[in-house]
Order: sequence, then structure tokens, then C-alpha cells
Amino acid sequence: MSAADAGVIEMKVPCDPRFLSVVRLAVAGAAARAGLAVAEIDDVKVAISEACTNVIDHAFVGPAASASATFTVRINVGEGELRLEVLDEGAGFDPKHLPAATVENAAERERGLGVFLMQGLMDEVKIESAPGSGTRVLLVKRQAR
Amino acid sequence: MSPLEDAGACFALEGELDAFTGPELREQLGQALAAGMCRLLVDLSGVEYMDSVGLGILVGMAKRAAEAGGGLAVVGPRDNVRRVFDVSGTRELLNVVDSLQDAQSRLGPATQTGEEG
Repeated sequence: MSAADAGVIEMKVPCDPRFLSVVRLAVAGAAARAGLAVAEIDDVKVAISEACTNVIDHAFVGPAASASATFTVRINVGEGELRLEVLDEGAGFDPKHLPAATVENAAERERGLGVFLMQGLMDEVKIESAPGSGTRVLLVKRQAR
Repeated sequence: MSPLEDAGACFALEGELDAFTGPELREQLGQALAAGMCRLLVDLSGVEYMDSVGLGILVGMAKRAAEAGGGLAVVGPRDNVRRVFDVSGTRELLNVVDSLQDAQSRLGPATQTGEEG
């Protein structure tokens, strides 16, 4: 094991919203271990939930549908920094074509503010995806100085 | 009649509001609107966690309530839940307030109750 992997926890999660609270609990524990403050841990809980909810809602629909679909949450516990990756091998999408995150759109669809919230709550958000190639979401939260 | 009933329909939620529990809230609020109750009070003081799923439902229902001539107010969210409203810029739209009295003054005087009568 390299030094970089020393604080890595990896979870394989069923694509089922029942387990969102389980992921939040695990990630909150890791965030506390990384030294984040209570309010920062609250932000992380929302952000990881948003990323996982998007996988559950979008990754394995249509031709990619599968009752046994899972995705991976990788937690990297640093010193004063938590890095989270949410990885799926689902349908993927073109990140350039995300619907605009406006309250008006959200009122119509009752959805669509998840990415916007992630960006507002985390220090770093990266979404890598392409149709047919799955999706990787990176979320980073650092301890306030 | 309690202040809650006077406002139309009140929902006091508890626990966590995410993609697992959200559908139940959507159904309850949708039923109230379908029954002609367009003044909705949502008491979040017992909610420990909420993300964009809950937020999306509230924003959608607020729009429908306003279109029906009423409105929606959110009462008493905890700090972590309040932050979701603040970061998304929805605090005014959703009439996020601290007390039931504030909520009622936001929605105006009640003209009908949620009860059949």
C-alpha cells in the first residue's frame, strides 16, 4: 500500500435510495476523521448524497437498466481534507448538456438543483462523463483555516 | 382550531428528507393541493437532514400552491437545513421563517381551512 492509499475507504453501494443514509453516515465519519468541523461535515453529507442520488436516478436507466446495479464511493481521508469519488459504469452523459440549474427549472421538474448545491457546498467539484462511458464525480472539502 | 389548521394544511416532518423519503412528502403535498388546500405550511423543525430532493419538491409545490392562489411556507429549519435554502437562494421563495406566526403573516390571513366543512 502506498502512502497515498493509506487513508482510502471504498464502498460498493447498491443503486437504491434506501442506502443513501448509510453512505452519508460513513462519509460523515470519515469527514470527522479528516478533521472537518460540524458545519463542514453537514455540507459534505449533502454533497455526497447529491452525487449518489444522481447515479441512482440517471446512471442505470433505459438500455443500461439493471436490478443489480451498483456504484462505488471512494473516500480519501486526508489531514484537514476529504476527497470523495463517486464512480459508476452506467449510461454516462455529456456534462456540457446538463439542464440549467435555475429555481424556475427546479419548480417545473422538482429536481435539478443537485449539481448546483454540490458546487455551493464543496471546495472542488469535478464531473467527468461521456455517453456510454460511465461517470466520475470528484468532491473535495477542506478544513477552514 | 390550531393556528396550523387555520392556514390550510400543515405538515410536520421528522427525520431525513432525501430521495428515499421524498416521494412520501411529494404525495402528501400533492394530495393536499388536489383537495383544494393551497396554503401549505411545512414544519421542518424535526428534520435532521435535507438535500436537493426535498428542496425540489418544496419549490415545485410552492409554485403549484401560488398558481392555485395560495402559497407555501417553511417553518423552523435547523441550521444545516437552512443552509440548503441559503446556498440555493430559495429562502425568500419558500418563505422560510422561524415561527408559525411568521409563516401565517407571510401567507396572509386564512380564507379557508384544510378541513371539509
